[in-house]
Amino acid sequence: MIELLIRILIYGATVSGIWALVASGFTLIFGVSRILNFAHGAFFILGAYFGLALIHSVGLDPYLSTIVGMIMVGLLAVAAYRGMMAPIREHEVMIIIVTLALALILEQFILLTFGEHGVSFPSMIRGVVCIGGVPIPSIRLFTLVVAVVALILLGVFINRTRLGKEITAASQDAEAAMLVGLNIGKLFMITMFVSAILAALGGSLFAQIYAANPFLTLKALVFAFAIVILGGLGSVRGSVIAAFIVGYTLTIVISLYGARWSEFVAMIIIIAILIFRPTGLFGVKE
Amino acid sequence: MMVFLIIVAVITPWFMPDAFTYILGLTCLFMILTVSWDLMVGYTGQVNLGHTVFVGIGAYTTALLQVPSRFQGTFLSPLAGMPEISIFATIFLGGIAAGIVGFIIGVITLRLRGWYFALVTAVLPLVFIETTVIWREIFGGEEGFSVGLEKALAPASTGKYYIALIIMLISVAIMFTIVNSRIGLKFKAIRDDLDLAEAVGIDTVKYKVLAFVISSFFAGIAGAAIVHYRVTVSPDLYDVPLMLLIILAAVIGGLGTIFGPLIGGLIIYLTKYWWLKGAMATIAATGLPINDDIILYAILVVIAILAPEGLWIKAKKLAKR
Repeated sequence: MIELLIRILIYGATVSGIWALVASGFTLIFGVSRILNFAHGAFFILGAYFGLALIHSVGLDPYLSTIVGMIMVGLLAVAAYRGMMAPIREHEVMIIIVTLALALILEQFILLTFGEHGVSFPSMIRGVVCIGGVPIPSIRLFTLVVAVVALILLGVFINRTRLGKEITAASQDAEAAMLVGLNIGKLFMITMFVSAILAALGGSLFAQIYAANPFLTLKALVFAFAIVILGGLGSVRGSVIAAFIVGYTLTIVISLYGARWSEFVAMIIIIAILIFRPTGLFGVKE
Repeated sequence: MMVFLIIVAVITPWFMPDAFTYILGLTCLFMILTVSWDLMVGYTGQVNLGHTVFVGIGAYTTALLQVPSRFQGTFLSPLAGMPEISIFATIFLGGIAAGIVGFIIGVITLRLRGWYFALVTAVLPLVFIETTVIWREIFGGEEGFSVGLEKALAPASTGKYYIALIIMLISVAIMFTIVNSRIGLKFKAIRDDLDLAEAVGIDTVKYKVLAFVISSFFAGIAGAAIVHYRVTVSPDLYDVPLMLLIILAAVIGGLGTIFGPLIGGLIIYLTKYWWLKGAMATIAATGLPINDDIILYAILVVIAILAPEGLWIKAKKLAKR
């Protein structure tokens, strides 16, 4: 019993950390540009696949391949933003359709290149740590640390740097930001890059603990949506807190009833929030 | 014009191979999906990414009503003794079931402004696919199950095609009448300016939910008819690739026009299941990581970027110039 509790406590924190990375990126680009990026799940899992491809082809170590993979995903996202999203930013229906189509193109591409079976990413660190007599793989703790550091860096970037403040200004009022001379197009591109590398880091960490498979392109969106709706669309702080609530809920349900219920739980969370508190914990104004 | 098209549709099976007639019948049912999606998205402007959920609900409803023995030994075993009813009655019930689920989801999500409707409907297909795996004994898991050849719409392809054609014509006629009535005007008012629509006294939530229920009902009818056309039901009817095919067809045809998505449905379904089949063999031989889905999605992206207001409206604008 105690063993199960410790496992849930630690595994839940790890899972929550990964989803916090994914969801904060999703909500960041929405908050700034009002783009609902359905390709975010593809960026998440491509982080793992690009890293894997680098390990197998160039022979990089897991650290370096994760970083290079993240940058590749970030550049891909910027290219997708420039080529596909920016031209039709005013057409809200089409932008959703285009990003969803992009997600499915990337999913099919992964399917054809890497196959449909799960592949795991070589762990950055090996070994097992004993906590309260329960053996825990070190990579789980390491993942949590990496996720927390990345989120702190994100917080510093947004709140402390000039660029971050400009991004916040753009998210609060894009027109006013333009009037005071900010280059909105550039800010959106930077935000897209940051959003995508957060997702890619999440994907690489996820694949080191579980395994990457092409279908996560869409499945990851389910959890990301549940988190951002709970946290409030557009609120980065809200999505980090919500990620831990959703992450722990999922971990408890999965360890008690099995993984196949996870989509259901996410759905129930979404429905419950929409009924009782549609703006989420920290929603921004539409 | 309409009469001419219908005559063409009626005599086509006399000149074409049986396999083509079979695909053409499925195309008719697919056209119901594109038109019903357009009724929601093109007319009220609410992005429904979970239309296939209602296709699947209609499909599994009729399949289970026709094969109630699948409930045997599960927690729903009392249902196993249901009396046998006509397939047309259960197809209709499939539509009703889809409409009811649409109502529930609509009431929860459509009263909220913003993106919640799109986000929730996007998640639904994945949740419903999961149900087929969790209650495998009933829904048959990834493979689905067969309803039996005797439960087909008709014994031969030609007969099936004609029934599918009739179902399509009736469904489209009803939806066409709705969008051209006062109700349709209110849908368009909601799409064009939600605040203004509210200001002139339209109960926007009521009409959004109404559009969603109608749209879901016809998706359920089409899904149920597909089951008795193919004699099998499987989770692919819930799945996202079908959703994207519907979107592609509607966007190519032009949102908010009914006839556009109708023609788009015809072109896209035949392209995917008849014409692209041959072309794919050549593409596969090159060894590139490309398949027919990637080509169709890429077409969708390109069209969306070049004509975000809809291909139909773009074409009309160009014609005027």
